[in-house]
Amino acid sequence: MPREIAIFGVLLPAILPLFLASLLIQGALDWVLGLAGVYRRVWHPALVRLCLLVCIFAALIGAYYQ
Amino acid sequence: MTPEPAPATHNNQARSAVQTGVSWLALQWRGWAASEGERLIFVAKCMAAAFTALWLAFRLGLDSPNTAMTTTFILALPSSGMVLEKAFYRLLGTVVGCSAALLFVALFPQQAPLLFIALALWAGICTCGAAMYRNQQSYSFVLAGYTACMIGIPSLDHPTAVFNLAVTRLTEVGLGIIVASVVHDVLFPRHANRQVMVTVQARYQRFIAFCSEVMEQRLAPAEVELNHLRFAADIAALESGRAAAFFEAAHSRAHTRQLHAFNNAFMTALTTFYTLHRLTHRLHAATASPVVTLIEPLHAMLAAALRAELSAGVPAPDWQRLQTDLASGIAAARTALGAVERPVQIDFDTAVELLERFARDMAAFVALYHGLAQQRKMQVSDPVAYHPKTPPGLVLASGVRAACALLLGAAIWYWLDWPYLGTALVMTAVFSALASSSPKPLAMITGVLIGFCLGAPLAFITEYWWVIRANDYPMLVLAALPIFALGCYLTSDPKRAGIGVGVTLFAAQVVAPLNLMHYDGEAFLSNELALIAGVALAFVIFSVILPEHTMGQKDHVASALWREALGAAKAPLFRLKHRFDNRVRDLLSQLNAAAGPAPSAEARAVVRQGLTLLELGHSVIEMRQLIDVSAPSPARTALALCVQQLAAYFRAPDQRHGAAVLSAVLDAGPPVRAALAGEQDAARKLRLQTALTDLHSIYTSLLDQMPAAPLGESDHAS
Repeated sequence: MPREIAIFGVLLPAILPLFLASLLIQGALDWVLGLAGVYRRVWHPALVRLCLLVCIFAALIGAYYQ
Repeated sequence: MTPEPAPATHNNQARSAVQTGVSWLALQWRGWAASEGERLIFVAKCMAAAFTALWLAFRLGLDSPNTAMTTTFILALPSSGMVLEKAFYRLLGTVVGCSAALLFVALFPQQAPLLFIALALWAGICTCGAAMYRNQQSYSFVLAGYTACMIGIPSLDHPTAVFNLAVTRLTEVGLGIIVASVVHDVLFPRHANRQVMVTVQARYQRFIAFCSEVMEQRLAPAEVELNHLRFAADIAALESGRAAAFFEAAHSRAHTRQLHAFNNAFMTALTTFYTLHRLTHRLHAATASPVVTLIEPLHAMLAAALRAELSAGVPAPDWQRLQTDLASGIAAARTALGAVERPVQIDFDTAVELLERFARDMAAFVALYHGLAQQRKMQVSDPVAYHPKTPPGLVLASGVRAACALLLGAAIWYWLDWPYLGTALVMTAVFSALASSSPKPLAMITGVLIGFCLGAPLAFITEYWWVIRANDYPMLVLAALPIFALGCYLTSDPKRAGIGVGVTLFAAQVVAPLNLMHYDGEAFLSNELALIAGVALAFVIFSVILPEHTMGQKDHVASALWREALGAAKAPLFRLKHRFDNRVRDLLSQLNAAAGPAPSAEARAVVRQGLTLLELGHSVIEMRQLIDVSAPSPARTALALCVQQLAAYFRAPDQRHGAAVLSAVLDAGPPVRAALAGEQDAARKLRLQTALTDLHSIYTSLLDQMPAAPLGESDHAS
């Protein structure tokens, strides 16, 4: 698995697209959870959202580099 | 201390004294926590975000860590929704701006005049775009404009470095955005969502109190206008709060739809109420008409319902039942009125129709409010987003000004040949773009300029007394903390926010440490001077180039209002009413922002004009909707002629066109009444009735407009 990808000769870390992908996934999940009203039942919605993002990102990295 | 006299024992006295003391302390503590405490938490959050971003930028070895730090200060806003919203739009603007800079530098490498012209055009276009939108969307445009300058100008001499500059800028802004969003969203968040609900509640209470006061005739017409102006500002404020809350976790899409619907229902009710109020006012002013006494109990019925809606002890009124009660009351009044002459009959019909319409609108508004307050999920039909509107003259002026600022700065740079003026030029571009969407650009730039001047000596002290001695990161934080904390503390005070922003941005530009520090006193001072000179140039440009063309300038708003009215008579009908309503209110809210708490007589005249045009526009749109669905008939032709004449009047509002409208309205009366008499379908009947009311309200408001109208009231009998 490449650690860096070249875009027009500039090396970018490969986790950047992974991060963008996790943002997208998180956005979709956010929509579903908001629709289900989950965020209204938790103590700190923002923290839950952040943790979800971290989990998704970590899972993607883990899957990519295993 | 205690008010209790002799009979109480010594022990009791002491206890009650302690209790008083404790409750006093608790009160003080709560007061402090709500004011100073909030501000200190805000400062702490800003510092956490700034120094985390700086540390990460050092750790990742980025080229200019101060950009990441500056971003966190730019994103330092009171509620987490606002931070997330601005973060999103900042990212967007940066990406667009970087791409534009790459394109321009690639097109005109080392060709300074061409590059500057391209950059000036780009900044002008972006600033025009910024003037057309509100809040953070507008910021996104501004940013796209000046990011291109920030990258394009330094790479004038080294075009090959431009890609690196762009990537660095994007990376650092991205880092700053992530850090600021996480810190402001997770640490002691203040939710925009909750603030929106507070706004909604305040609006609901104020509107109902306003309606019942007007219905009981306790407000002077001037105060009514002021209230309408405030409500227009409220509508815009709720929209911006909603846009911020949209980015928060606890905010659902259903909520967004409900808020849109709430705002729309409010605007509809407000317009109906204005028409109703104006008509009642006229009736009262006219000689003793039997209509006034007949309408009075119906008004009282509505006013009582409104009062009951507000007071806590009384059960909330049932608006459905109120509407049926109102209908039966109207039927009774109609029989009491009996057969009277035409004008009185028309007055009566219009008054009751408006009352019924107002009760309907109010029922919808109250239902939406209760749905929001109790967090019930409601099916909202066709919620449409808010449409802002800026007078085109102002849009163009802000673009021209931004472009001129850049070209002027470039000319000065070329002429003086002082290398640091590049920095000054970037500052000029930034502030001439940022200030153009503010209603008081000079006041804003002055605030920042004061902040810069205040920041200059403080930054020098910080850099050469403290930062120079720091030899590891914690020491660096300790050295740089005071100046940033001071700036953020000032930012959290609405009156000194501009100064605070100036201090933090200035300090972030000059103090911010690099990976390889080098201390050069001359460069430091030159840099400071260039920053101040840049903002001063922006100040000069705003006071010299088109100084009257600022957001919410009343003449521009007035002519834009007339154009909107013309649009109501001409534009395609799809969602026209909604768009028209939004744009007129948006123009009024700009007027409110520029006029401040005590608008001048001219500004009030514009408000009055705007309200009349709002009413006329609504009537025109309703008539056009009716024309759109009816088959060719004399009534349809007459109404179409009315609309046509009104459009001509909106285009050139003078006596001649006004008289033409009046006669067209009078001619339209009989055929519409004939159509109403021959109509069987209930729904169509209602629409024809509405059209009659519209004709009447057009007629009366035009008469109000033209005191010396050639046609007398008696002609109305036809």
